[in-house]
Amino acid sequence: MPVLKRLSLAVLLAVPVAAHAAADTYAVDPMHSSVNFTVDHLGLTNIYGRFNKFTGTFSVDKAAKTGSLDASVDTVSVDTNENDKGSRARSRDEHLRSADFFNAAEFPKMTFKSSKVVFSGDNPTAVEGNLTLLGVTHPLTLNLERFKCNPAAGNAKERCGGVAVGKLKRSDFGMKRGVPNIGDEITLMLAFEGDKQ
Amino acid sequence: MTEFFDSNPALQAAFQGGIAPFVVAVVVALALARTRFAWLAILAAYATQVALSTGFSFTPLSASRKILLLSLAAPVVGIAAYALESRGRTIAYALAALAGLAAVWVFLGILQQREGAAAWSIGIGIVAFAAALVAIVLSLRADAARASAAGVGLGLATGIIALMSASVGFMTAGISVAAGAGALLLVNAFRRAPPSPGFLGTLSIGLMIALFAEGTLMLAKLPWYALAALLLVPLAVRLPVRDDMAPVARAAILFAYAMLAALVPIAAVWIAPGS
Repeated sequence: MPVLKRLSLAVLLAVPVAAHAAADTYAVDPMHSSVNFTVDHLGLTNIYGRFNKFTGTFSVDKAAKTGSLDASVDTVSVDTNENDKGSRARSRDEHLRSADFFNAAEFPKMTFKSSKVVFSGDNPTAVEGNLTLLGVTHPLTLNLERFKCNPAAGNAKERCGGVAVGKLKRSDFGMKRGVPNIGDEITLMLAFEGDKQ
Repeated sequence: MTEFFDSNPALQAAFQGGIAPFVVAVVVALALARTRFAWLAILAAYATQVALSTGFSFTPLSASRKILLLSLAAPVVGIAAYALESRGRTIAYALAALAGLAAVWVFLGILQQREGAAAWSIGIGIVAFAAALVAIVLSLRADAARASAAGVGLGLATGIIALMSASVGFMTAGISVAAGAGALLLVNAFRRAPPSPGFLGTLSIGLMIALFAEGTLMLAKLPWYALAALLLVPLAVRLPVRDDMAPVARAAILFAYAMLAALVPIAAVWIAPGS
């Protein structure tokens, strides 16, 4: 093989490896992370809820100003602190799991897959991506209210975390039951922490 | 009006599932009273409920949307089946078998997520229930009062057990079928020779109710034995009642049969473990 061809091959193989090595990847630590949401109720107040089971990873390369945030949420784990139906026919959380809302039996996962991380200076400020819910995918931008990394110290690995907040219309995903008594606009909040892998 | 319903979710559901569908069904039943197409009142009631609640949407084609699609298609198939009315019993069996297969198509995505044995047992169960319910309701196709009484009983029972099983969507769907059948029962109660429901009326009632009940089983929290109890409603309206009675009295007796039978699935869900 001519020297030039060998060199080209070596460069081609090396470039992706180098690029990959530059981005630090973090696995979301569920103990110190949460996926929360709020929705208006009757124009009177906000109902707050969360999902108790989720996984996720994120990466950041401050030098290249790139990154990612991917999350997968088990919709059956929806929890609005109202799972005891008492003498009623059903609890609110049971209703939220049904086909009227999250349809957890048919669509067990809600996912967010980032396409771009927006930086302001050296700091990531927003994550653009796609949210898939009820089999429907729509763009969603999560604004990073904060993002910070603590350096490795002793046995502890480098650890990063942040809070990402975005707004979506649930009717865009086909979740129309109860609108407008139960608000159409949902505020989604991902509070995440993770150790460098 | 909108603001009134915005602050009264229960009244909004009652209007969407019961009041508006009933009014529309009465209009359709009166307008087409002299024809067999009067039984389009069932479809009109259901479509009104859909239009007022979630609207018509078919993508992505989820189980609920497949149910909507089949519910809209059932009357069309019923009308087409009139062409083969001379082979009524064979057509009835074929439609019942197709209803069973349709149920598998509706819930295939959910069955594929279950483990092997569970998927098979649930799959066989939903095929059997849909086929059995459709077959029994189709057997009422020559008797307007019996078919509409069965529709009222099945619709109310399905709606109430859906609400008890955490599904407002299937509640309003079931109640809308009861509203449509109730409108026909009312309009026909004052006629000596109302148009028979035929395949149009009975396939509409049977298939819609089968899929709403199975949807509540698969997508909410309905216990499986409530499905078996639902079969008692169309069986109850087959109990003897004199044909030479005044139509109003005959309709009232059949309505009472249906209501008493409808209490069984409701009671089954009420006393279910965890209820």
